[in-house]
Amino acid sequence: MGHFNHIIRLCVVLIAVVIGFFIVRGFFVPKSFGTYGSYQYGYHRGDSDAEQENMYALYQGTEKCAKCHEKLIKDSRAGGHAAVACEACHGFWQAHNKNTKDTVPRDTTVESCMSCHEKVTGRPDFLPQINSFAQHMKDQEEAFEPDLKCIDCHNPHVPL
Amino acid sequence: MCLCKRRGSMYGLIRTRVFTRDNDMNADRRKFIKQTGWTLLGSGILVSVGSFFPAAGRAMQKGSSHELYGFIVNTHRCIGCGKCVQACKTENHVPEEFFRTWVERYIITADDTVYVDSPHGAVHGFKDTEVKGNIEKSFFVPKLCNHCTEANCVQVCPVGATYTTKEGVVLVDEKHCVGCGYCVQACPYGARYIHPERRTADKCTWCYHRVKKGLMPACVVVCPVEARLFGSLKDPESRVARILREERIGVLKPETGNSPKTFYVGLDKEVR
Repeated sequence: MGHFNHIIRLCVVLIAVVIGFFIVRGFFVPKSFGTYGSYQYGYHRGDSDAEQENMYALYQGTEKCAKCHEKLIKDSRAGGHAAVACEACHGFWQAHNKNTKDTVPRDTTVESCMSCHEKVTGRPDFLPQINSFAQHMKDQEEAFEPDLKCIDCHNPHVPL
Repeated sequence: MCLCKRRGSMYGLIRTRVFTRDNDMNADRRKFIKQTGWTLLGSGILVSVGSFFPAAGRAMQKGSSHELYGFIVNTHRCIGCGKCVQACKTENHVPEEFFRTWVERYIITADDTVYVDSPHGAVHGFKDTEVKGNIEKSFFVPKLCNHCTEANCVQVCPVGATYTTKEGVVLVDEKHCVGCGYCVQACPYGARYIHPERRTADKCTWCYHRVKKGLMPACVVVCPVEARLFGSLKDPESRVARILREERIGVLKPETGNSPKTFYVGLDKEVR
């Protein structure tokens, strides 16, 4: 059957290429690549899970603040801001790790309070909202002074 | 066959074949039909047996000893303050012009016109609207990656860079991603983007690095009205599991068939 030689040679070359491909692939594909779980959704480089887990967390949650500020947080549970996290207004905890009071941002401006409490279309009714600071002062029948801020009457940790 | 050796050419072989008896031809034809028939039967059996196994995504939940996470967004409570967007940007170093989570405002007027806005993803909250007149209802809808059980993005990734962990969180392996953008195109929710500096796909990870340490995602921590909740779908007493049992729940774009794990309370029909 001599005149099949050209097909046999082609097959040999093809098999050699395929074997060569698998050898080269063995060097390039990361060792942890595999099917974790289902093939369709879980096929990935296994080391990636640990890399994603070990990223640095900036926000720490109210429990972390409670380690030093327990009384303040316990008192705040009685007021309207009970469900508001410390970090919502004060920024992430990791900025505080120098243990100095100055590193915690304390935005006491009216704009800071208005970011939640301004009357904006779409806000639900359970939230206390005001049209503007001036309007609120008029409604409360208080004198409006330009330097006045929300915190002059409302304790931000235990508002009404 | 001796004929072909003598001739030493393909032509000789063909010539030989032409002059064989009809019986041989019939035998070949019969063999071919038999082989085809058996092949079809065999593949038919394989396919029907294979279809009894559950779909890949659902197989992940059954009988696994790992945690399974879920997210609840309560649109009745969202006030559109944008603190979640800011916290996510800070925690995950999200570039300026992209968002891993954002808030949309829907305003529906009496003549059934729907106005949707999301000023810079609501990172600085919302300003009052220019829509005047008969506003029937308006509400805020926070959005983020839905971490679908049968995620479109995971299916289309050509290199296996995006995947679902055993806890049901969809992640992107940025060392392996080649930045082709197929997943960005495939996501029906527009939750993914290509990071401008790393040139890889990026998206909300439910703060995987935080939840594995027992913390809540950053957006859940800072939400002042508990419009965002995160927890275990497996533990029946977790807040998320209880809300799924007790409240009326919807998901975005259920017609895509990807079974998202971000559930919405109070989803209006106008929300896409």
